[in-house]
Amino acid sequence: MILKAENMIKSFGKKKVLKGVSFSMDEGTVYGIAGENGSGKSTLLKILVGLWKADKGDFLIKGKIGYCPQESLLFSQLTVDEHFRYFSAAYGLAKSNWQSQSEFLLDQLNFRQYRKDKVSDLSGGTHQKLNLSLALLHQPDLLILDEPYNGFDWETYFRFWEITGHMKSQGCSILIVTHLLSEVNRFDRIYNLKNGYLE
Amino acid sequence: MNVRRIMTSLSMILRMLFRRRIVLILLVVIPIVFFSVVAITTSIQKVPFRIASMNGKVFILASEKHMALVFFAVAIAGFLMSFLAMNLIQKNSTINRRLMVCGYHPLELLLSNLLALTLMILMISVYVGLLTAAFFHVSHPGMMIFSLALTGFVYGGYGLAVGSLIAGELEGILFIVLLANIDAGWLQNPIFYAEAQNQALIHYLPAFYPSQAAIIAAFTDYSGLNASLNSLWYGLGFLAFSMLIFVIKMRIRK
Repeated sequence: MILKAENMIKSFGKKKVLKGVSFSMDEGTVYGIAGENGSGKSTLLKILVGLWKADKGDFLIKGKIGYCPQESLLFSQLTVDEHFRYFSAAYGLAKSNWQSQSEFLLDQLNFRQYRKDKVSDLSGGTHQKLNLSLALLHQPDLLILDEPYNGFDWETYFRFWEITGHMKSQGCSILIVTHLLSEVNRFDRIYNLKNGYLE
Repeated sequence: MNVRRIMTSLSMILRMLFRRRIVLILLVVIPIVFFSVVAITTSIQKVPFRIASMNGKVFILASEKHMALVFFAVAIAGFLMSFLAMNLIQKNSTINRRLMVCGYHPLELLLSNLLALTLMILMISVYVGLLTAAFFHVSHPGMMIFSLALTGFVYGGYGLAVGSLIAGELEGILFIVLLANIDAGWLQNPIFYAEAQNQALIHYLPAFYPSQAAIIAAFTDYSGLNASLNSLWYGLGFLAFSMLIFVIKMRIRK
């Protein structure tokens, strides 16, 4: 088991968003969490990666996490390559490791031609490609993705599933949060977050 | 603490700073515009005033123009540094948290920001100090530059505190302009200070000791040690406060 969450509760003021969320994930699985806008999906992910604290409940994660936030969190004045360098320092990766992985991601997601461009000069789709690539740079054991394919064209969307399929085959677990689930056969399990509970 | 992480972050922060046109415009243009306005508008009439930080024992006779140049040099250094410091901390706070999820420690990011800020303080104080010296003969240019660096340190600390506490850019700028304008841009003017009804209040404002150090360096051969030390204490206070807020706000749960 790579992730186990038990009875997670989170409120914002009087509004209870998570009322007791429990679930677990095994190695090499792809899980989806669906739910309407405002149902608490992103809140749950932010708690799992450590950005927010749950009011109650506990969770355990084994291994390295890769997190792709819903909104592209990038430095507008830095280039694509500089992002890879900055985040590789955060992950503590050796130069040879992050360079080969960034080359792989630039090719797989088809944005090599923008590597020297500043983020402020890139399109929304390319922002999202970089946003996702930064989560994959250190080859994590658990990938937590919040609406990862927003803004992707069809080709990139299929490339995304190729990459995640490859990672899954290597034992990586992938948790995808989305408000719109298509191709349910790609998931090992799908939860619906409704009224603060996972169904 | 990882040196590679700190140095990588420092290098990225400096790239981001120097790629922003508004930063370069602020750094280069504001001092020249301010000094030119002072040079054009002030008179060369000599005015006597006393140095407030030396218990009123020392009187100076200096031209209004020269005094205004020193006074504005302090105000420029204070305003620029507080704005840059606020911007540095505030602008990237959300993405900095992402970097922390990926492995950065809050202190590593804070330290890289402080190093970038130190470089900016040195750059601005040297530039503004040399510009001041270009307009009139400063008694001790090195000490004058040092006192501008102290202003940058005090007001940089204030900018960091504002940037750590306040999320909105506009609100942050308002806080900075308010204090910089009232304190460094008005109350610390020696002519105003000499006749002020409540001088004690002016003593406790952040620009008091740095402007005193600048006046001592520009016009006298006296030691500005006392004013410099007090500036350092003031700056350290702001710095400690902003560091505390930064670490509390930025920490993540692992």
